[in-house]
Amino acid sequence: MKRPGRDEDPDRLYTVTGGRSRSAVGADAFDLVTLVVSESEPVRGMQSEHAAILRICRSPTAVVELAADLGLPVSVIRILLGDLLAAGRITARHPRTVRAADALPDPDILKQVLVGLRNI
Amino acid sequence: MTSPEIPSPPPHHGSGHTEGRPAAERRPAAGQGTAAGTALAVLVAVVVTAVACLTTVYLSSQSARAAVAWGSGAAGAVLCVAVAVAAHGVLTGRQLRAQLAAQQAEAAQREAAAAHFADSVVPSVVERLRAGGSAETALAEAPPVHSPAERRVLITLATEVHKGESMRASALSACANAAGRVQALATSMAADLREMEHKHADENVLGDLLHLDHRTAQAGRLADSIAVLTGARSGRRWAKPIVMESILRGAMGRIGGYQRVRLHSTSGVAVAGHAAEGVMHTLAELMDNAANFSPPTSEVHVYVEEVAAGIVITIEDGGLVMGEVALRRAERLVSPDAADPGLATLSGTRLGLAVVGRLARKHGLSVSFRPSAHGGTGVLVRVPRELVTETQREEPLGEPSAAAPRTEERVTVPGTAHERGEAEHPAGSEHAPTPAHGVQYGESGLPKRRRGQTLAAVARTEAGPGRTASATAASTASGASAAGPGTEGGTRQARPSGARFGDFRRAVQGGSPPEDGGGTAENDSGTPENVTTPSAASPASSPARASSLPEDDTE
Repeated sequence: MKRPGRDEDPDRLYTVTGGRSRSAVGADAFDLVTLVVSESEPVRGMQSEHAAILRICRSPTAVVELAADLGLPVSVIRILLGDLLAAGRITARHPRTVRAADALPDPDILKQVLVGLRNI
Repeated sequence: MTSPEIPSPPPHHGSGHTEGRPAAERRPAAGQGTAAGTALAVLVAVVVTAVACLTTVYLSSQSARAAVAWGSGAAGAVLCVAVAVAAHGVLTGRQLRAQLAAQQAEAAQREAAAAHFADSVVPSVVERLRAGGSAETALAEAPPVHSPAERRVLITLATEVHKGESMRASALSACANAAGRVQALATSMAADLREMEHKHADENVLGDLLHLDHRTAQAGRLADSIAVLTGARSGRRWAKPIVMESILRGAMGRIGGYQRVRLHSTSGVAVAGHAAEGVMHTLAELMDNAANFSPPTSEVHVYVEEVAAGIVITIEDGGLVMGEVALRRAERLVSPDAADPGLATLSGTRLGLAVVGRLARKHGLSVSFRPSAHGGTGVLVRVPRELVTETQREEPLGEPSAAAPRTEERVTVPGTAHERGEAEHPAGSEHAPTPAHGVQYGESGLPKRRRGQTLAAVARTEAGPGRTASATAASTASGASAAGPGTEGGTRQARPSGARFGDFRRAVQGGSPPEDGGGTAENDSGTPENVTTPSAASPASSPARASSLPEDDTE
């Protein structure tokens, strides 16, 4: 989609954020994997990024994924999400923090699965 | 410069001169003719009076002869003198009249020659010089000039005009060249800045980068203005139609007070790529005027309206109403019918309307001014229908065209990926790990291979071992350009890795809520990805990486 050395988008990021470089609701409201769910449908006259976020977030979507989908930096996405959160149009769900050790399956089972897969 | 030769006049031309010069030579001969004529008349008179006197003396009586002789002699002498005077007078008068007529004719000829010089010779020479001819060529092609004085005037004129023209042309091309370089610099700086904005997540750094980005855009606009005025090519070419919102924001981003501009646009139309830059630049100049000529606290409102003849964009400010004179001047500058006034009307500091006029004539935009409801001036820009294209929209809302296909993909893929994942992953399909990339299933139910996908899979495999946790994956999304080889690495890699992250999660979750995504489901689809992709990696390392996958997801 993008060619090297070409900036294919006339939107500058400061026009997307209205010149702001920090989120309206604080920096720690969203981290990279915060799941965002839209609480309302996009309305007419809304900034297209806001509308796109609301559409994408009909199913819970991570912040980093939004950034990748919209082709915008995560920091800019955070600012946009801050606007929407302040307006009550989205909710943010912080994923359950699971201790890594608890989630680890038994290596023996994994080995058996591997062997089983090789035998297929 | 060598003094150019002016061709000598052909003999038939300028008959006034050929007559004039002999007339001057004829003057002494005419004087001699007068004298000869007078002498002849006196001679005749003398002979006639002498005969008359002798006859009278002979006929008169002896006694009166002496008196008669004296009397008739005197009378004869008087008569002769009178005849001589009369003859001389008549002849002189005739000669003077002839001279007068000749000189009048000569004067008329000169006047005609001077008029010809002023009305035909000089303009044709100047025209040739303006068209780019050298002084010699222009003089050689000019109609012949006879008078040496006129010739000198013409040579001086041609030399000076040629000097002025060549100075103007070289100054213009130097300006155009410099503007083009500044444009290129501004464009590449904008691309660099965007890359940095993707790279740095820190708010303070981002703020500074956005500030620099804004300054660069303003510098770029100035360079664009100079390029437009000097007739160079315009700065950017957009390959695709640009939606109205981007046009407005692109225009707004190029002016100083962009935060005072309020956009009211629900229009989803787009402007054709070749004209998008011109429209953006026009709007930027008009918005800049609106922002500069209104109080710093007031807002500038921009409205978009779709009409039958195209799109009308209204820019309204709350500043001063333009005076009658200013309004007329502005209308004249942007009028499409008026001849291009060139650079002569530039006032030095105000380039905006001249730029708007140029661009409006180039792209067929029509610009008009009127008092605004906000108390200031409103500017209406009509973009003709030919430059407007409709974007394909799934919903009535304006949606960036780039996001549209992804949304669709997003709706359809999770279900199929999950359903088919069960059947295909055990088969060790190579394409299984990439359902997020829009794998299309053919009629046979097998995934279709897409061009370039194998290469992408290899690239992912290479990047795989370094990626152990979601934090790394995320940082690749935001800052892959640090590791990426090219300048676009950040944006290009951000999409696949970020999208992959989410698609993997969705494939794992299926329809279940994200909190309930259990470890077994993750292993189902998660393990094959890591078993199949790193083909070069040792099998022993696979379980370790596979075990890291749940973190990827549930963290």
